[in-house]
Amino acid sequence: MSSLFSDHLLSLMIAVPFLGMVAVAFVRGRFWVLSTTLATTVVNLVLALVVWMKFDLSEQGMQFVERVEWMPTFGIQYAVGVDGISLLLVLLTTILPPLCVLGSWDSITTRLKAFMMLILLVEGAMLVVFTALDAFLFFMLWEVTMIPMYFMIVLWGGPERVAAGMKYVIYSLTGSLLLLVGILGLSLQAGTFDILALAEHDYSPDSQFWIFLALFLGFAIKLPMLPFHTWLPDAHSEAPTAGSVLLAGVLLKMGGYGLIRLGLPIFPEVAIQFAPVLLWLSVAAILYGGYMALAQSDLKRLVAYSSVSHMGFVTLGIFSFNNEGLEGAILQMMTHGLTTGAMFLIVGQLYDRTHSREMADYGGLYQRMPRFVGILSLFAVASFGLPATSNFIGEFLILVGVSYRSFVFVVLAMGGIVLGAAYMLWMLQRVALGKARTEAARNLTDIGLREVLTLAPLVVAVLGIGLYPSPLLEAMDASVSYVVERVASAQIAP
Amino acid sequence: MSVYALIPLLPFAAALALALFGTRLEGKGHRLVIPAIAASFLLSIGAFLDVSANGAIEIHLYRLLESGRLEIDAGLFLDRLTVVVLLLVTGVSTIVQVYAARYMVGDARHSRFFALTALFTGAMTVLVMSSNLLLTFMFWEVMGLCSYLLISHYAERPAAAQAATKVFLVNAVADLGLFLGIILIFTTFETLSIPEILAQARSGTEIPTSTVTLLTLCIFVGAMGKSAQVPTHAWLPLAMEAPTPVSALIHAATMVNAGPFLLVRLSPVIVLSGPAMAVIACVGAVTALFAALVSLTQTDVKRTLAYSTISQLGFMTFLCGVGAFVAAIFHLLAHGFFKAFFFLSTGNALAGTHRRLGLAEEETDGSASGLFAWALVLSALPPLVVFSGAYQGLWLSQGFGAASAALWVVGLGTVFATAMVLFRAFTTVFRHGVSGVGPGGRVAPAPFSPRHLVGIAVMAGFAIALLLVVWRWFADFLSTAVGGMPVQQSVGPSSWVLVPLAVAGLGWVVAYARRDRGSSRPVPAWQKRLYVFFLNRGYFEEMYEVFIARPTLAAARWMWQRIDRGIIDRLVESTGALSLGVARGLGAIDIAVDHQVTSVGTGSVGIARWLGRIIDTAAISRTVDSLGRSVDASGYAARRIEPRTLQHSLLVVVLTLIAALGFFYWIAR
Repeated sequence: MSSLFSDHLLSLMIAVPFLGMVAVAFVRGRFWVLSTTLATTVVNLVLALVVWMKFDLSEQGMQFVERVEWMPTFGIQYAVGVDGISLLLVLLTTILPPLCVLGSWDSITTRLKAFMMLILLVEGAMLVVFTALDAFLFFMLWEVTMIPMYFMIVLWGGPERVAAGMKYVIYSLTGSLLLLVGILGLSLQAGTFDILALAEHDYSPDSQFWIFLALFLGFAIKLPMLPFHTWLPDAHSEAPTAGSVLLAGVLLKMGGYGLIRLGLPIFPEVAIQFAPVLLWLSVAAILYGGYMALAQSDLKRLVAYSSVSHMGFVTLGIFSFNNEGLEGAILQMMTHGLTTGAMFLIVGQLYDRTHSREMADYGGLYQRMPRFVGILSLFAVASFGLPATSNFIGEFLILVGVSYRSFVFVVLAMGGIVLGAAYMLWMLQRVALGKARTEAARNLTDIGLREVLTLAPLVVAVLGIGLYPSPLLEAMDASVSYVVERVASAQIAP
Repeated sequence: MSVYALIPLLPFAAALALALFGTRLEGKGHRLVIPAIAASFLLSIGAFLDVSANGAIEIHLYRLLESGRLEIDAGLFLDRLTVVVLLLVTGVSTIVQVYAARYMVGDARHSRFFALTALFTGAMTVLVMSSNLLLTFMFWEVMGLCSYLLISHYAERPAAAQAATKVFLVNAVADLGLFLGIILIFTTFETLSIPEILAQARSGTEIPTSTVTLLTLCIFVGAMGKSAQVPTHAWLPLAMEAPTPVSALIHAATMVNAGPFLLVRLSPVIVLSGPAMAVIACVGAVTALFAALVSLTQTDVKRTLAYSTISQLGFMTFLCGVGAFVAAIFHLLAHGFFKAFFFLSTGNALAGTHRRLGLAEEETDGSASGLFAWALVLSALPPLVVFSGAYQGLWLSQGFGAASAALWVVGLGTVFATAMVLFRAFTTVFRHGVSGVGPGGRVAPAPFSPRHLVGIAVMAGFAIALLLVVWRWFADFLSTAVGGMPVQQSVGPSSWVLVPLAVAGLGWVVAYARRDRGSSRPVPAWQKRLYVFFLNRGYFEEMYEVFIARPTLAAARWMWQRIDRGIIDRLVESTGALSLGVARGLGAIDIAVDHQVTSVGTGSVGIARWLGRIIDTAAISRTVDSLGRSVDASGYAARRIEPRTLQHSLLVVVLTLIAALGFFYWIAR
């Protein structure tokens, strides 16, 4: 029994959300639908924690590997495994869904069952993406994540939901097509879809650039990097709370994960060649996203644009090609998921009360909602990387990493932090301080126990990681070193 | 883990308890916070005795992070410098909290206030005790956050809300300098551990001067921000929006003292770079003089006080710049205790609200002449120390000739202005009440009686003598812990001591003589212009607004409208329109596909119904009633699924997916 459990731990973890979906379909009554979903997501979280407990920190490669032939004619397997990099993202993927369920407890009034099933579908698909060792499996579930998100936006979204959903699908499909082209390009030459084997293969020099470009664009749209970002503010602001949380919290990270898993180890030479351009693009994204956020009057849009800025830090770390930068980037992905997820949950709580996302409609919330404002302030400052919160550690590591390349990037990226402080504090000033500007804002009630419980785990995580990040860094250290060594060896032998 | 780790942990624990159970403890926060901070103070005394007897202590707490070349430990480092400053921080905080317990009675946000002030104090103690620059920086920022939240305490005032944002932003910009400096230190020294950095700097390792200069200047930018040096000084007057106890904390115990402390902490590194020292000295000198002049022209008592603090901080920075680190710390301590005393004794009058305005005349006799004496001593203090002999060789050995003149001009200028300002502040608060709102309107300033003057003179003399004695001991105590100029102990008190004292007295006399001179006398135009310039505080706040804040915001809005929406988004939308046309063309196929999907859906509904019935019969045969009912419910649910609802299609998708997986698995075998 125990061997069955530990041998198939990952498959079990992946299966739980899908089984949960089936269970939810048969459950009746609002409360039972919600609690079945919640139970499923909590079981998943527990399983992810078990994986973390059993994880061997010294091991560089994949652990808990399971391989089953799936379509042997094409060399396609069902193959899953985790290393330190995927482990953190798996943790993130399992932390957020329970909070999403709690966050939409009252706010989803129509088609609740379908909504809960969509949450579970996204979670399951995402877990496969982050654990897949087979490029085909990776791609297939990558595609699957898009569909529930589209429905979430279009069916439960805000007033502009149809246009936003459309834009999201167009962008995502373009990205996935490029990704498909890239993956096919890889496997045609290597003759396998196994991600680990793909990294070992020598590709013809002419094709390297084009395959890298296709993969990179696919990931860059998802991440999103600078010129491909305009789907993000629309999709984020129109999606329902849980949708925004999953989108910003986990879905974006697939882009960064893809870059680290497929981009760097397979084409280190091309990545090195393009690093200067990409670093500049990252810095531009950091500053541009910050400026955009400063111009917003809509709360969700502000958070959405701040994501663009934060993802710039992620790519900045990835393309500095050293332990500090990469670990910072992975940690930043995780902490961005936590803080931005929290921000969307918080804005959602406000939206549930007044159905407005305009900052101008609030003001003086501290009087009626002291608990809410306290938590909002914490996440606002955590979001721009106030030291002693989790985001600071990520940003610090990224900046140290990139400082080995050039101090210009450090200085410019710091400009982004100042912009972050500016838009977040200005937001606080307009929303939480001063006097209430509308009748609705004057009659708000403070958040209740359920809403506090929704956010409390994130508060603990953000402060915990901020003051004691070692466990997470230790978990990914060996795996990151492997990627860094691969890039370094390519640098030495051109 | 050592008992000294409790010095920051106790206030943190109090803050945490208040944050969690604030509503239940509303109005009782001080009962938690005062004992916590008082205990920290007692522990600080213990640490002081321990360190002065047994030398520096290093305490390792835990491994903060490890990545690549970075290895950072969270730990505490207590040497003589640390314990001295720690005494000030915890001591003043304790007094301020006791005062605040009375001041904040009935405040609507009582718990929040005490939680934040406890956090504020705790953060400052970590900053002082930290053995690692990263930890220092983390709590440096936490302190900034606390100040932000405390300044916005009276959040219903728009001025307070705006001030809080501005204060934090000014600090955030400056703090990036420190952040950059810390990264530079890491790339230069390969460590962020403070004892190791100091050891490396002292051992005379070859480090290029340009590197040291750069990193020192970066760190100095951070210190400038926290210590309100020109041009980042404008935040300190804004911070007066906070409740008075917070002002006392900011001015005396926490926050502004972080700047000079950091410079002294890293003094062995700083002295390696002459140019950086020159810049520090210049900024300090400019700040000291500018703020002193501004404080002379201000009509608002709070603003006057803020600028007088800025001026004193400028002097401390200036002392660091010329290498008199010990004197800077001495001044920091003396100023801290004095300012705390001042704020607390004038706090009620400064609040200017429903409380008593000023003290009654008979009450001022004793306490006020003591205050006056302190004011006089404080205004003369920095040069007093510097000129008392210990640093006599300072300006000659420093290697840049202008320093001599600068020291004199700045030192005495500051002394003069400070004396005048303090005199005016005291007379305004104690002898008039706040002007215009006193009972019976503005009261004419009462002249000092000879008895008063003698009292003040005696007390001042006494205080100076005491200070000089303390200074002797202090210089000896601290000189091993900091870099910079060696303090020459052999030189006795010099006659130069009299000069700053005389200047201070002069400033006082001038202020007294001009105390009620009207503005009827014609003034030359240039004087008027100068007066207006300083009255408007050098227009710094306006310059921030016009040259930084507004253009940034305008640029952001323009970029969003023109570039993000106008260019990038439009490109995408045209693609969307194109694909819409294609989609219409494909619409016919779509409908056909839809039809197929629907029929698959209907089919699986049939299966689901059938499944439901099977389960139902099985349940009935078991005849367990409760179980049967629940299964019946699920069966009913399945039967109720109607075709073409979304959850239904989803179910189909999942079932199909599972079937497909099984199918492929079967084929693959």
